[in-house]
Amino acid sequence: MRTLQLEFYKIRRRKVGLTMAAFLAAQFLWGLWAFHDPTPSEQAQGFLSLLYSIPILDAVMVPPVMAMLASRLADIEHKGCMYKQLETLRKPGSLYHAKAVCGLLIIAVTFAAQYALFILLGYAIGYQGSPDITYYLLSYGLKLASNSALFLMQLALSMLFANQMIPLVTGLCGSLLGLLLMFVKMYSFLPWGGNLNSALVMMDWDARTRQATYYYREYSPVELAAVGMIFVWFVLFYAAGRVLFTRREN
Amino acid sequence: MKTQNLIETKNLTKQYGGVRCVDSLHMQVPQGAIYGFLGPNGAGKSTTLKMILGLARPTDGSITLFGTSVNTRNRIRLLSMTGSLIESPSYYGHLTGEENLHILQTLKGCPEADIDKVLKIVRLEEARRKKVNHYSLGMKQRLGLASALLGFPKLLILDEPTNGLDPSGIQEMRELICSLPSEYGITVVVSSHLLGEIDQMADHVGIIRKGQMVFQDTLEALHAHARQQIALRTGRPTDTLSLLRRNGLEAAKEDDYLLMPMIDDERTAALCRQICEQNIPLYRIEKREKSLEDIFLSLTGKETSL
Repeated sequence: MRTLQLEFYKIRRRKVGLTMAAFLAAQFLWGLWAFHDPTPSEQAQGFLSLLYSIPILDAVMVPPVMAMLASRLADIEHKGCMYKQLETLRKPGSLYHAKAVCGLLIIAVTFAAQYALFILLGYAIGYQGSPDITYYLLSYGLKLASNSALFLMQLALSMLFANQMIPLVTGLCGSLLGLLLMFVKMYSFLPWGGNLNSALVMMDWDARTRQATYYYREYSPVELAAVGMIFVWFVLFYAAGRVLFTRREN
Repeated sequence: MKTQNLIETKNLTKQYGGVRCVDSLHMQVPQGAIYGFLGPNGAGKSTTLKMILGLARPTDGSITLFGTSVNTRNRIRLLSMTGSLIESPSYYGHLTGEENLHILQTLKGCPEADIDKVLKIVRLEEARRKKVNHYSLGMKQRLGLASALLGFPKLLILDEPTNGLDPSGIQEMRELICSLPSEYGITVVVSSHLLGEIDQMADHVGIIRKGQMVFQDTLEALHAHARQQIALRTGRPTDTLSLLRRNGLEAAKEDDYLLMPMIDDERTAALCRQICEQNIPLYRIEKREKSLEDIFLSLTGKETSL
């Protein structure tokens, strides 16, 4: 617990909060631009459509944000050669765990704020009804798991490589891959496809009437396996990162 | 009473690929000592200290700290009685000196008042609220020492602590290190590739060469080594050598001279008499004082840099 508290103390003046706020602001501004003038049909399906739009937006935007967050947390140790000091005071595994939990808490708060912002936006632009809390919570849980897995992968890279270009480039490539995967299928077994797997709502686009109809997704067995894969990645990245970090020498 | 060794290594070995950086090293650091760990660049000093601190895993051998054999389970507990500064100071550049110390103080679980004490010792009180990124190298080095001193550990391991310091900084650091055993009861291990530096600080010396300990004793013993030679130049060196051997004296040929260990005046006179009795022309008999540099070079190899 003390080690975790110190992780938050260490990231003072690192503008981690600002980074996450900038990410939310960018998404919110996009939301304002995209949804500001809804048709009656869009108003009726508004809260449902958010469960489709947000994961798609996340698939593109979140990988580099996770890379940035992991890098902000880890590079402070590389810059001042702190590991060789810290590892005489704490076990490397415990240091790794504290950093992972610190990042995961930041992610949890950020995504909670993201949903709160979009729900407020929905009310502000006149969406009808109210958000289905069960589905929103489920979507939040899946989003948290898939992006946490991405974060843990990025954290492992950021903690193992002093040169932060390696994890940052991985994050950028992940963003492009997330975009590409959307054009293939709405599910993927790759870690960057987690956001697509966690979209609980699908859309039918009628090109003739130019109208979208949203409906709750019915997961096929393959899609369910892809959702399960999110949790496999989560455990795998945490364990691999921790083991590699513990085994390396200063 | 036998002095306890705070550090004891047996057959400590570290191999990277096919290269043995540290080779069957036996190191003994007595309590209360300032142990100078001396060796040329790349001799294995930092690797040895890293293994002692658990930052590198030994390929073979054992390490005993405070009389207890170190393993993965007790490593952190044993190291909690240790402070260290390895290679370069560790710090968070975006935090102030005081905030850096606060982090380590919390991790070490020592009183908060220690922060003020160590800042005073290293004379960084005025810069305590300055970001470490704005510190000079000397200030960072002092902050590194302050971090190591937090909790006033029983053992302090300093790897080349004067690296990058200007002459006054070196002097200041040296004085500080020398005061630690007497003022705070701290045993210090300080590594360096500079003999003069160790000569001015340490009371015990370990000299490492290509990963092997080639000398380990008190500084006095090293100095004693420096005084014990007599050089002889005679007209028949081979006969003189046989004569010396008959007298139980091992001598070595160096240029035109025969070098033998120091003996007392009466024995020297008797030896001169014997040489003259055998009609061997005795040209010169000199007392040779080998400097510490000479000893260091002879132990570590002349090809290595100081």
